[in-house]
Amino acid sequence: MMCAQMMRAQMIMAGLMAGGLVYGQNSQGEAVFAQTCATGYCHGAKGTASGAPRLAGRGFDVAYISGVVTRGIPGTSMPAFSVRMPPPALAAVIGYVASLNGISVPNPTGGQPATTAALSAEASRGAQLFKEAARSFGRCSTCHELGGFGIPVAAPIVHAPDSVAALKSLATPAVKTATAGAEAMPALVLSDGKRSTVFYDLTSVPPVDRNAEPGSVKFADGSAWRHLSVIGAYNDSELAAILAYLRETIKP
Amino acid sequence: MRFCLFILLAISPALAQEAGATRADWLHNGGTQFSWRYSALAQINTSNVKSLAPAWMFQTGDYAENLQTTPIVDTGVMYLITARARVFALDAATGREVWNYRYPEPPPDIPGFVGNRGLAVGDGKVFFGTKDNYVVALDQKTGHLLWKVNTDDARQCGCNITGAPLVAGDKVIVGGTGGDGAHRGYITAFSTRTGRLAWRWYVIPGPGEKGNETWKGDSWRFGGGAPWLTGSYDPALKLVYWGTGNAAADFFDGGRVPAGADKNKDINLYTASVVALDASTGKLRWYHQEVPDDLWDFDSAYEVLLMDRAIKGRMRQVLVHMNKSGLTSVLDRTTGELLQVFAVPEVNTWMKGVTEDGRIIGRNEPQMGKATTVCPSAAGAKSWNSMAYSPRTGFLYIPVNELCADVTPNDHPADEGKNYMNGSFPMKLAAGRTTFSHVDAWDPVTGKRAWSMPYKYVLLASMLATAGDLVFTGNPEGEFFALDAKNGKKLWTFQTGAGNRGGSAAYSVNGRQFIATTTGWQATVVGGGLAGLFPDQDWRLGSTLVVFALPEGSR
Repeated sequence: MMCAQMMRAQMIMAGLMAGGLVYGQNSQGEAVFAQTCATGYCHGAKGTASGAPRLAGRGFDVAYISGVVTRGIPGTSMPAFSVRMPPPALAAVIGYVASLNGISVPNPTGGQPATTAALSAEASRGAQLFKEAARSFGRCSTCHELGGFGIPVAAPIVHAPDSVAALKSLATPAVKTATAGAEAMPALVLSDGKRSTVFYDLTSVPPVDRNAEPGSVKFADGSAWRHLSVIGAYNDSELAAILAYLRETIKP
Repeated sequence: MRFCLFILLAISPALAQEAGATRADWLHNGGTQFSWRYSALAQINTSNVKSLAPAWMFQTGDYAENLQTTPIVDTGVMYLITARARVFALDAATGREVWNYRYPEPPPDIPGFVGNRGLAVGDGKVFFGTKDNYVVALDQKTGHLLWKVNTDDARQCGCNITGAPLVAGDKVIVGGTGGDGAHRGYITAFSTRTGRLAWRWYVIPGPGEKGNETWKGDSWRFGGGAPWLTGSYDPALKLVYWGTGNAAADFFDGGRVPAGADKNKDINLYTASVVALDASTGKLRWYHQEVPDDLWDFDSAYEVLLMDRAIKGRMRQVLVHMNKSGLTSVLDRTTGELLQVFAVPEVNTWMKGVTEDGRIIGRNEPQMGKATTVCPSAAGAKSWNSMAYSPRTGFLYIPVNELCADVTPNDHPADEGKNYMNGSFPMKLAAGRTTFSHVDAWDPVTGKRAWSMPYKYVLLASMLATAGDLVFTGNPEGEFFALDAKNGKKLWTFQTGAGNRGGSAAYSVNGRQFIATTTGWQATVVGGGLAGLFPDQDWRLGSTLVVFALPEGSR
């Protein structure tokens, strides 16, 4: 964005505000925009552009803004926000960008902030622990996806173990022993057919998704691998919090 | 002609390190693991470059973003990666496709920019990183997927792998982006054979580790430092060298600097630093922090050039490394001792100067609640496009931009994986100039500029130097050109049809030398943003490789 253009946009904004036009009613949209769209090299404060195009004073209509915000622009860095933010936030930010283009969208969210089902304090702590970055590859989310975070190496968790002891002694019948040449390793098999052999090598974390020539790897039931070997980054109190998170999150 | 060149080579100073120059092949992102982007080939040289003409072209068909990769060439086969991680193996003499591999499109909820800056070849495999943070290994002969392993959930870390991996011995090593977000950067090494984790080194030390005390409270968790580009490797010293990213929050340090800290040295370690890691363990051997308490988004994530140079009468094993500010350090690469430091931009307002021992004086720190004009801008005195080095001239060849930004900080709290720049920074042209970039030749030993060739817009393509005493690079208008390495005189130019914002390579097949360059202006950061500074310009996008050679029979 050229500096002069940007200044002009800013002057238009300032002029409109000084002229008393009502743009400031959508504080949620403004907040979402500031946190998500104005950031970094993207659209800049109040849509005045930084690396990505200016959004203020462009003559956009609400349908266009809604389409781009919701579905993104394929092939560019503009993502589809429909999968990245809850509908109230989406509506609020569309309303805010509309306001930057001189369109008033009254009360786009009904004034209610986006809410999610409240977790207990213990489960909230568990949710943090489940994916805590400081635990590096020792965190649950290295192999499990839950609540929109994590790598789905293991099948979805459908049942929370009853106790920390049960979590530690979890049976893992899906883990087999793969033998490739002289090398044996614990494996989660994804495909073992005529066309492809695909499995996760669980020798160390993170698991490695391996492809091999069909028939070149033999799989046998049973393995020396234990769930206990990969949860050592957590103490019992932390595991209990994680179980609380699982119990409150997984629908029976 | 060839005879003459032999004489030239014989009388030129002995090549200090054969290891830094490429020959028939171009095996690594930086040419060799020493990252000179220099070819010992001299078939194309200052006397015949005027005859250089296109030999073949390859259109990738992936127009999601531009082609940023540097071509890798191994025994007559060229490997390329596109913005969306489509990998091609081509006959390097003709451009005929040998195989291609399409990495599956990551789910739409994966954040980050579209783009990929290169791949690596080694151990019979082709390696690359992805937007959703997989390191992927393909069979070099067939393009079949062999293994892939995830480094982080992009939805949580707000990070991606965009840089070319580095193959060092039996390991493939990658960094990642995310340092402008609430994220803690790291470098990760995997076994080339199995994909199993070898080591991970966190740029920011955790509690109990030395250096953690340079962070306020819990700020180490989200302090940035993402080492998002590609390092270098010295196989004799068994050390991996890597540049680290800026501290986060970028423009506001209230959350991350301990009270009463001396800003002259060792703040927010090991951000904005160049580090030496033991290649087998990932343990830190030494570090040199270039910008303590960075407040200008001045990453040090750029390339690291390894060379041997005589300094004060003594041959030293050195490395050359540039910070995004253009501050360039020459260090003893065995110890980290600073030997020379100089600033390459002509317009510096972020500081008044730098002392011989690397201390930044007169820091012009952005102030809360007002705009501070900072030059160079956060787009960098140089962007991620790499410089080159010729052992024949002893010069570094650096594309330098003269841009500024009006930085207004804020103190928004950290939110994991989300933007954490804490400031707005609209960019602008440096005042009172008519040209806004230049290709420079710098002597790293003296810290002096030997010549400079100005250009009216910006330069965002990597440099290539050759033993033909040529320096190649391209500009946003689409011109790919050759300069005389000794004096900067423009000797040849070719209009490639689209802006240049990628890498170039030199190689030969059956005795014929080729020069390959990528074309296509970058639509997004930072090519798109900087294009906005020149509204009368229309720098064309694209994703095409153009390969040049001397006409058959003319050699």
